[in-house]
Amino acid sequence: MTNQTTKADAPAQGRLLDATGKIWAVLVDGLAAAGTFMILVLMMIICADILARNLMGASLPLVSELGALLLVMIVSLQLATTVRADRLARTEIFFTGFRAARPRAGAGLSGVFNLVGAAVVGGIAWSTVRILGKDWASGEYIGVTGIATFPTWPFRALILLGMTIAAIQFLVLAARDFNLALTTKDKT
Amino acid sequence: MSPVEIGSAAIVVLLVLIYLGMPIGIGMLAVSFAGVAAIRGDTVSMRMLGAVANDSLREYLFAVVPLFVLMGLLVTISKVGKDTFDVFQQLLRRVAAGLGIATVFANAVFASITGISIASATVFSRVAVPEMERHGYTKKFATGVVAGSSVLGMLIPPSLLMIIYAVLAEQSVGRMFLAGVGPGILLAVAFSVVIVLLARFKRDFVFENANDTADYEHHGTLELVLKAVPIVALMLVVLGGLYGGFLNPTEAGAAGALGALVIALLRRSLGFREFWKLLVESGQITVSVLFLILAATFFSRMLALSGVPNALAELLLSSPVGPYGFLLLFLVLIIMLGCLIDSISIMLILLPIALPVAEAAGFDLIWFGVLTVVCVEVGLLTPPFGLSVYIIKSATDDPTLRVADIFRGSMPFVAAMLVSVGLIVAFPPIATWLARL
Amino acid sequence: AQEVIPLTVASSHPTVIPWVGMIQTHFMARTDEILAATGTYQIQWNEAFGGQLYKANATLTSVEEGITDIGWVFSFLEAAKLPLSQGSSYTPFATNNPALQLSVMQDLLATNEAFLEEWESHNLKVLGLTGTDSYDVYTKEPLDSFAALDGMKLSAPGVLGNWLRGTGANAVDGALTTFYTDVQTGVSDGVLSLALGMLPAKIYEVAPYITQVNMGVAFSGAIAINRDTWDGLPPEVQNAMVEAGQYYTKSHGEDLLLRHEAAIRKMLEIGADQNPPVTLTPMEEADREAWVNAMPNLAKEWADALEAKGVPASAYLQAYMDGLRKRGETPLRNWDEGL
Ligand code: NA
Ligand code: NA
Repeated sequence: MTNQTTKADAPAQGRLLDATGKIWAVLVDGLAAAGTFMILVLMMIICADILARNLMGASLPLVSELGALLLVMIVSLQLATTVRADRLARTEIFFTGFRAARPRAGAGLSGVFNLVGAAVVGGIAWSTVRILGKDWASGEYIGVTGIATFPTWPFRALILLGMTIAAIQFLVLAARDFNLALTTKDKT
Repeated sequence: MSPVEIGSAAIVVLLVLIYLGMPIGIGMLAVSFAGVAAIRGDTVSMRMLGAVANDSLREYLFAVVPLFVLMGLLVTISKVGKDTFDVFQQLLRRVAAGLGIATVFANAVFASITGISIASATVFSRVAVPEMERHGYTKKFATGVVAGSSVLGMLIPPSLLMIIYAVLAEQSVGRMFLAGVGPGILLAVAFSVVIVLLARFKRDFVFENANDTADYEHHGTLELVLKAVPIVALMLVVLGGLYGGFLNPTEAGAAGALGALVIALLRRSLGFREFWKLLVESGQITVSVLFLILAATFFSRMLALSGVPNALAELLLSSPVGPYGFLLLFLVLIIMLGCLIDSISIMLILLPIALPVAEAAGFDLIWFGVLTVVCVEVGLLTPPFGLSVYIIKSATDDPTLRVADIFRGSMPFVAAMLVSVGLIVAFPPIATWLARL
Repeated sequence: AQEVIPLTVASSHPTVIPWVGMIQTHFMARTDEILAATGTYQIQWNEAFGGQLYKANATLTSVEEGITDIGWVFSFLEAAKLPLSQGSSYTPFATNNPALQLSVMQDLLATNEAFLEEWESHNLKVLGLTGTDSYDVYTKEPLDSFAALDGMKLSAPGVLGNWLRGTGANAVDGALTTFYTDVQTGVSDGVLSLALGMLPAKIYEVAPYITQVNMGVAFSGAIAINRDTWDGLPPEVQNAMVEAGQYYTKSHGEDLLLRHEAAIRKMLEIGADQNPPVTLTPMEEADREAWVNAMPNLAKEWADALEAKGVPASAYLQAYMDGLRKRGETPLRNWDEGL
């Protein structure tokens, strides 16, 4: 590839990256919105259960098991946006001062943290593939045969999706950090 | 390396990573993965990681977290806090430093409908601080009172910290809630005593202008009663439901959130956009809390495999330190960590190590939990990282208010909390009587 | 010289639960005792009971994947992966003798290939078996007869809701932790449960009328060891564990029967002074028969559903019922008829 073509492609590549970035943002926000909506669903099904129990004398089936699974959904679907918003708890004793004093090394350190994040959350996603496969194969369900049941695999699939997106979000942040580390200079 | 050595090394590495600023949950997951891999091989470690993420949060009880957080945010915007403050202000207007005491008691009542201290600190820095300043109180004192009494939000039930402790220690959430009532009242009284003492012996700490001539807003009796209706209604739903036996904690959270939503809608303080923003905010708080719980679960499972807790219990309890030496060590460690990291992280880092020791020492785990929670809450008020103080700073929006002043104003209340911890150690029934009834 | 073998043993439930405690006092102790005879091997147990390593929702996978070497697998909560193991929950009024039932199950493990396979396909080896004591009804008001069940709301955990079908009673789902308040607040009029659970949960305080229905005992799970761990053990240790597992199963079955009776006695004793006092009324034999015959054919429904998925449940059910009768039991309803 010659220099010329690289130059000519650069703006197009930029636009492409831009578009990818937008699609990515929509994906992360969309998952988060789904997770957010589930908080409302959670509130509603529990209140419906309270009503049913007190008015009709019978509790709704599956509520507690569904509530438990919905909660795992909320966490996995919103993890990516929480990561992007830098809302995971951390200490600032060392990190904030270090970043201010040594921007380049600070960005590098932040990049390392984000890589580790990508690795562990990616590990969760990886091992969820197997759990999804097993639940699918054995027809794992919540509830009681003869009363009401619901398969668990759709939930596992959503956990897998959320964790995968969160792992990639960590990678995106790490790339940004390392880029920053290469392009900025520490004050010396 | 033996498993115990691996476990101990993992703890040290985790502390270093946390100090460097790695997200605490990520650090716990990484260290635990490495620990289990070293003890049982990386296949098992990978499977445990997947199991933890898929199963450890799958608990109906955890649904209480987003629900109580949502409820706390809803009551924050619907002015229920201001009404509560108005009622107490009217009742205590003739008492010396009455506004300070009104803030404490309004906070105590508000605490019974919210499970997070963030809500208390936000509401009362907007409601009580301007009113106190108008009546000649110093900024330092006004914000200090709000910071101090915001800790009641997570001591008096419902309480996010109590729920987290109950989960980790396998205690009933209902009992843990009940165990917070006595200490909550004790703390409210201790805070009031501190305020009265300060008003008498250190007037310049409390008052900028000792001759307060500013008017008090007057509310008729009917108006006061009307102001009290929403909060009493919510208290009835949440606490009445819980202790009347109609609702379990998760259901109380759902009913409370719905009730707070209805109040916010009736008062027209909620548009669709704000509501969505609140839901998103609840979601992010939920994720940051539950992700930590998930990570701490893996951490404590790694520790259980390593045998560190058992070894530590043996070491501490057979040495001259003894059970009460261990308790002192533990509480001091919490208060020290409280200067640096947030409440929930402290509990999630320390409890997996400390609970087995406390159990081996034969402590009443409900009492131990109350002591843990009070000491963890001291951290909300201590520099350099004091969450309540920062929230007050950002919620008051006053450029002349310095963070250092709020920390200084909170110190008398920190002292009151430490005295209260001493009292609860000496007289366990303060915490356990109601819970064991 | 003596070889030390480190093994992790774990459970989702605490050791105060009788059959979990007996892992220590019977299975582990007996293994140690047998091995001590020659002194060639010694097991170094790393105990992680009470949910330190996993919760009740992951008892099977945790042994399967080697998160623990040995653990108690709670088959009640693994209906999808251990379908045949649910059989006894669909055959009420078949036997009230836990030891006898466990001996039938042990036999099935040796003779019914599908049953053995459903366990061993999960990368583990079964060492010992666990079951429940018998189910009775605890109510707020006296239960005069079977007909009185009509229109009542009874709390029943999960699958046991099926046992109320055909009786006219409504099943209210719940767990040991919710029964007390459910009855107290009128969510339900009583509970269908085990004496061993009712005593610590103090249900007799709110539902003092115990009707001894003797609805039968159920198979609840197994002590199992991860297959990879098992394959790595020397034959002497393997033999010691098999023997200790049999001893555990036998002791646990006998213990359940004694504990069931003791729990009922204890409730009568503690509840004698309360108002109204705890009373125990055995259900009339005619009423028990009315109950079991009012039910739809639960066992057939269950077996047919599994057969449709290719699980040979009918043959298993037949063998289970035969096993009970062969040991002298007379099931109140022959659930294998009409399969
Ligand atoms: Na509270
Ligand atoms: Na602090």
